[in-house]
Amino acid sequence: MLTVNKRGHPILEAEASIPYELAYGPTWHRFFEELKQEKIFGTRCPKCERVLVPARTFCPRCFVDMGQWVQVSNAGTVANWAICNLAFFGAPFKPPFITSLIKLDGADNTFFHLVGGFDLEDVNLVGRIMKRGVRVEAVWERTKKGCIFDIKYFEPL
Amino acid sequence: MTRPVAIVGVGQTKPGDRSEVTYPDLVREAVQAVFHDSGIDPDDIESVIFGSMPSMMEGVAMNHFYLADALRGVGKTFMRTETCGTTGISLAFSGYYSVASGFADLVLVVASEKVNEGDAQATMSTVAEPFYQRPFAAGAPGMYAMLPNEWMWKHDIEEDACRDAAATLSVDHHRDAVRNPCAHIRREFTLEEVKSAPVVVYPIRLLDVCPTSDGACAVIFASERIAKKMRQKPAWIKGIGFRGDEYVVGDSDRVESHCATDAAREAYEMAGITRPLEELDVAELYNPFTFVEMLHMESFGFCEPGTATARVLNGTFSREGTLPCGPSGGVLCTNPIGATALIRVAEIVLQVTGRAGDHQVPGVKLGLAHGLGGVNQFNGVMILGSEL
Amino acid sequence: MRGRVAIVEVAQSPGGESDEYYLDQVYRVCREVLDKAGISKDDVGTVVSAASDMFHGGVSCANAYFWDSGGAFLKNGSRNDGESLTSFLYAVMRIASGHYDTALVLGVCKGSENPSTDLCTHFFTDPFYQRHIGLNETFAAALQMRQYLDRSHVTEEQCARVVVKNLANALRNPYAHVKKRVSVDEVMDSPRIMDPLKQMECAPKSEGIVALLLASEDKARELTDKPVWFKGWGSSLDTAYLGDRDLLDCQLKAAAARAYQMAGIRDPREQIDVAEISEPYAFQELLWCEQLGFCPPGEGGTLIESGATGVDGDIPVNPSGGVLAMNPYVSRGLYRLCEVVLQITGQAGERQLEREVRTGLAHGTQGFAGQFHAVAIVEGGQAK
Repeated sequence: MLTVNKRGHPILEAEASIPYELAYGPTWHRFFEELKQEKIFGTRCPKCERVLVPARTFCPRCFVDMGQWVQVSNAGTVANWAICNLAFFGAPFKPPFITSLIKLDGADNTFFHLVGGFDLEDVNLVGRIMKRGVRVEAVWERTKKGCIFDIKYFEPL
Repeated sequence: MTRPVAIVGVGQTKPGDRSEVTYPDLVREAVQAVFHDSGIDPDDIESVIFGSMPSMMEGVAMNHFYLADALRGVGKTFMRTETCGTTGISLAFSGYYSVASGFADLVLVVASEKVNEGDAQATMSTVAEPFYQRPFAAGAPGMYAMLPNEWMWKHDIEEDACRDAAATLSVDHHRDAVRNPCAHIRREFTLEEVKSAPVVVYPIRLLDVCPTSDGACAVIFASERIAKKMRQKPAWIKGIGFRGDEYVVGDSDRVESHCATDAAREAYEMAGITRPLEELDVAELYNPFTFVEMLHMESFGFCEPGTATARVLNGTFSREGTLPCGPSGGVLCTNPIGATALIRVAEIVLQVTGRAGDHQVPGVKLGLAHGLGGVNQFNGVMILGSEL
Repeated sequence: MRGRVAIVEVAQSPGGESDEYYLDQVYRVCREVLDKAGISKDDVGTVVSAASDMFHGGVSCANAYFWDSGGAFLKNGSRNDGESLTSFLYAVMRIASGHYDTALVLGVCKGSENPSTDLCTHFFTDPFYQRHIGLNETFAAALQMRQYLDRSHVTEEQCARVVVKNLANALRNPYAHVKKRVSVDEVMDSPRIMDPLKQMECAPKSEGIVALLLASEDKARELTDKPVWFKGWGSSLDTAYLGDRDLLDCQLKAAAARAYQMAGIRDPREQIDVAEISEPYAFQELLWCEQLGFCPPGEGGTLIESGATGVDGDIPVNPSGGVLAMNPYVSRGLYRLCEVVLQITGQAGERQLEREVRTGLAHGTQGFAGQFHAVAIVEGGQAK
């Protein structure tokens, strides 16, 4: 509809919304089925032998089909993290929250997820806990939906 | 003079409803196919060019970031070309100019679409700007239905004859698609079935319209030096032409479309073609709607304006005719939109190199591939030949 | 590349929010570049535009919308999505192929009509994994900055200095969007929106329409006495998942190596007179400088502290104010190139560098933590 913007100029307020049906395919499907069982799986490249999480259909470097499915540990070390203090579109939660790249034991890459389970409002506490190399472990949702947030977050040990 | 450019490999997916695989896996299928077809070592590719339809199609924006690995684009020189329905042919142009300019000797061009994951018609509706045209937009069929009506009126074409010609095209294309392993709808229909199918937007009926396909296509462009060393015969690019028309649909004549005629003329001049009907051996027109294909047969000079109906009915453009159009089954039987025009190029490559298998037209030396975008707003033409 | 290609003229729109109709703005910038060069639309051989549907006010198939406003009516042209410097390369290739004498390169992005940049970049994610964690470019940048601080000698204060330098440079740029004198303390005290990233270290959302007219060697001599020659170009794409990458080992090194090799540059710091770099996040200017070979790895902080990248330094970086001062997401790479051209031709007005500017570098990047990089090298002076 014709309305005015914050500076009083005429604008059309518009929005587009489209429903999607996005194919999981067999690899994501199994990965999320395993996740429901509280197991994190990667796949091993038969060529470079790296284990990548989440599981892949093919190795991005070698471009060959991934071989064996490998269960990696539910625990790992924080390789990198950022603290979000700002609400934004697509944010999984109200800030503050911490996203992190976590090197899970048994994987050759890092896994993108949240770190939580302590008072994130307490800046000093966050500063004391969040360091490169800190050990974390997955905390699971009680009701699983077969999505990435079946893992609630990773909690420092 | 311009540096000669060849196509040395093509790869296609099995199109259709591919909800059993993810989008990257579908793209990878085409990429693996092109390396298998050409025998080229992926490490030798200098540049990767990719495109698809807008982000709204599958809900992933700038999806080259998502598809980087499936494209074998990691660590490579990269470019993304995108011009709506003409995306596939524009990608072929990007590949052509990369080699013709001397920038690269070996270029991988990939196009894809997973149409079943989103709502293509809703996406098309957002092509219309929101101030004026969008409220009327009825997806592509609604916009495209206006063209044949105007065409029939303009040339005083009898409606029954036009209906019969369109139905003949549908029957022919569906019959051809059965021979093509890379077609989506592979089932024959009778004239009666086409003519009694439900009306989508008058005069377009369900079997006059393309299906909803997931699919991808990959093509490798090469310089003369490399093409001549290949184990199999390359296809040479003989001519290219492209035109874009005004945005607002009411601003220009989209039936006697300068956009389409000029694009073809440019390609013919480069290829030295003066009598397309006689000189071309095969054409793959971008025909999501049977009726609209006839407009392009006229725009491209295959016949005089207003005569395509009669020509279709007398078999000029059938498999056995003077100029077979759409031996692959065409867009009418397979339409993964972003990839569709690149598939036209790939199909002509297969035809001029004699590798089209069951749907090979005998003795093809010169063929035309077409891409269409917007409401006849964009037309791209590429002529490919078996000889340099 | 066959034959030489030159940039003949440039035109750009200022970056703030305007209430002008988008297509009118596109038309005006194209009109300006043609008028400056003294040629008509009909004389233009081909038009290659840069636009992205995600950053296009909810109108899909951007090329369809602005095609005729951009001077391409019944012309052979094309549109690249993604980093706009690829459109520059494509236009160069079209001329070098021998098909055209002139090409219009157009970059369009009316940021003021788009949702936030983070919302748009959020949709770059795969829909199953990274999207749910809320990944967007700011998030990826915060992770990259953490790693940079952890693994090199660079300090947060040195990162903040980039903001101080670039926003001050922008004071002299009439086309910049954000321009002001700020202190390191002010930057450090701005909200830590994605810790360690502070609000002032993140680029704004700007609108920017930019046009460049390119010509073949013969045609360029006819149209201008100050041609700026295409010398080199390189790009590289990185893998999809952040967890598979070393965020400090970017594809920029590969992109720069390709551009330098093509342009015959062996010592970039010595041979490049001005660099315009895309730094949507302050620390990235330092990291990108390292990867462009302006200083050794890990020394980006020392580089800015030494003043070398200031307007009086030996390798001035972002005299325009850079992306921190002006961020039309899609066209920002072409804005960098536009500034380099103005510096080389001595048309940069108040911000004209005092040194002689002959060779310039323009850099563009998009994607998470720089998933794609492009580098263009151009050079002034008469052809030899």
